[in-house]
Amino acid sequence: MDTLPALASLLLPGLGQFLSGRRGRGLSVFGVLALMLALVWWATAPAAGFAETTIAFKGDPNLWWWLIAPALVWAWNVWDAARPGGAPGWLPLLVAGGMFAIFGWQTAEISPSTLLQNGDRVMLIIRPMLQPDFLQVRAEEREGWVELLVPCPAEAPAAPSNTSDGIALELSAGCAAVGQELTVTGAGLRPDTAAEFIWQSPIGDFFPLRDPADPQQFRLVQPEADGSLQAAFSVPNAIPPGIDPNLPQEQRLYVRQSRPLGGWELSTNGRFVLQGIYETLSVALMSTALGTLLAIPISFLAARNLMGANPVTLAIYVAMRTLLNIVRSIESLIIAIIFVVIVGLGPFAGMLAVTVHTVAALAKLFSELIEGIDPGPIEAMRAVGGDWLQIIRYGVVPQIVPPFTAFTIYRLEINVRASTIVGLVGGGGIGFFLIQWINLSDFRAVSASFIAILVIVIFMDQFSAQIRKRLQ
Amino acid sequence: MLEVRNLHKVYPNGTVALTDVSFRVDDGEFLVVIGLSGSGKSTLLRCLNRLIEPSQGQILWDGVDVTAASGAELRRIRRHIGMVFQQFNLVKRSSVLTNVLAGRLGFANPWLSLLGVWPPSDRAMALRALERVGIRDKAEARADALSGGQQQRVGIARALMQEPKLILADEPVASLDPVLSHSILQYLEQLNKEEKITVICSLHFLDLVHRYATRVIALKDGKVVFTGLPQEIDKARFKAIYGEDAVEVRAGMTA
Repeated sequence: MDTLPALASLLLPGLGQFLSGRRGRGLSVFGVLALMLALVWWATAPAAGFAETTIAFKGDPNLWWWLIAPALVWAWNVWDAARPGGAPGWLPLLVAGGMFAIFGWQTAEISPSTLLQNGDRVMLIIRPMLQPDFLQVRAEEREGWVELLVPCPAEAPAAPSNTSDGIALELSAGCAAVGQELTVTGAGLRPDTAAEFIWQSPIGDFFPLRDPADPQQFRLVQPEADGSLQAAFSVPNAIPPGIDPNLPQEQRLYVRQSRPLGGWELSTNGRFVLQGIYETLSVALMSTALGTLLAIPISFLAARNLMGANPVTLAIYVAMRTLLNIVRSIESLIIAIIFVVIVGLGPFAGMLAVTVHTVAALAKLFSELIEGIDPGPIEAMRAVGGDWLQIIRYGVVPQIVPPFTAFTIYRLEINVRASTIVGLVGGGGIGFFLIQWINLSDFRAVSASFIAILVIVIFMDQFSAQIRKRLQ
Repeated sequence: MLEVRNLHKVYPNGTVALTDVSFRVDDGEFLVVIGLSGSGKSTLLRCLNRLIEPSQGQILWDGVDVTAASGAELRRIRRHIGMVFQQFNLVKRSSVLTNVLAGRLGFANPWLSLLGVWPPSDRAMALRALERVGIRDKAEARADALSGGQQQRVGIARALMQEPKLILADEPVASLDPVLSHSILQYLEQLNKEEKITVICSLHFLDLVHRYATRVIALKDGKVVFTGLPQEIDKARFKAIYGEDAVEVRAGMTA
């Protein structure tokens, strides 16, 4: 029983341990207790600078019982200081760890019920994702349109008519209020195909009109045998929010006929997916090529066995290594955001970002390969009378070219993935399309791009594995 | 004839590796350098072709001052001195043939050699060298696919490409099984006897020294403590070279 250290630890946690020579333990005890007390104060003190905290019990001054955990640790600390061999260390770790876990749970807003409650949202995403928007049935499309004003101005215009794509359309009135019934008369349609009615809002959005008999279905009208058509419809509310509903604006009715021709073709989004993948692969390829070219000279500057000889080169080595470590620790996503600001949206920004990361990562790997080369062959080439270039060519190059190539191929594989990601912040490629489709909730297109990304990643994976196997 | 005069070597970190080493090697000798690890054997051998720069002293080879040579002249001297290493010093990823051809670098057209282009005469010579050490069938194999003994034979074939007048062998058998030691040393002995190539070889095992050496010099702490015939190394001299506690170990399998 050591009274003095116990007293010291009672006054200041860890002091007793510290004074009796167990410095690390003393500091740890003090640190853990300080952290626990700070957390309790932060969570229970009202408006203590962290007003907007997410902790559920924030600001409740009655939660004094949170002090039980620090008190237990404090008591243990006195016991630990008093006992010559120290007290069991797992006790305070358990108490403190438990407390941190509860706080962590609250701060991370963990809520398993929320995860399980929203099954309908999952289905909302899963269902369209099962039908990736990549290919569509090949079809011949014709569409005619006619324009009207909604709502009516003071002076009503004449009943409009218009012919486009060979479809002549005429409306019963040149203007209408929302919900008012109008009649459209058409001619020149193909008699064998039903026509869809599609509405265009004043800001150019399209949406199909629904069948008044069954609102789950889109409106389809079968033309007569002579290609004429007559149908009534009610003007939908297509006025965008924030626009004065009393201001007459031009809106259009489109009548579209789509006839399947047999076979499949790329859909519009499918074409975007291909374009995105092509762009992403180009970004990956160019950033790998440029990054490797830049990494090679830098790697020589960052190799200790080449640079360690005198203080000047050693300083360059240290500076290079530090720089590479800093750059490597920055995600290429962050670098991409910076480059988007500098050069604007598009694949160039993405390429620059991926290149920067590639240079940092490859230069470090290359320099480690250079540091690891066997000096034996170099010595042997000197001994046979080779000149400097011959020594490099026969003593160094055969040792580093295969592993350099292997790392470069591996980097290409990583860069294909990185190039998709930098697209999310405006770095071009499939990621750029993907983030927009996510924002538009177009999950069929999202699904198509997921599949395309999966295919190229798997392909690159296999390709690089094969090449690297041969280079070993 | 090789003459070493008052050779000193002090490394930049202050280690004294060689102190006042002088000796002579006549053409056609098989000189073995013995001594404990760290006694300066490797440093001495590397000073002879100036892979390591001596601090002081002179090396004369057939009247040419090796220590005074520089640049191209040094490379011309080196290309006539073959060297065989303890760790073989082969490029492991390259083929055996490429490793052997590299021995010809000192004679080759510099630009063609950089492109990896070798004249047919050199290729034929390399195959003959491999034939001579009994591994011609391994010419296309990667060097690291060979066993240790075979790799050292590639090392000898590489030295043969230099048509050397002198071969420096730095512990050529220390990384090999005792069984293989004789096979390697017999190749060196054959070259020494048939081609009249002078061999300077450092060795660990005394029984190998007795078997192969025509003359021995012993180093201790960087100084020459014995020069003479192998049979002159008696118990007292052995203790003087290797220290009081040393017990002789044999490589065995005397061929």
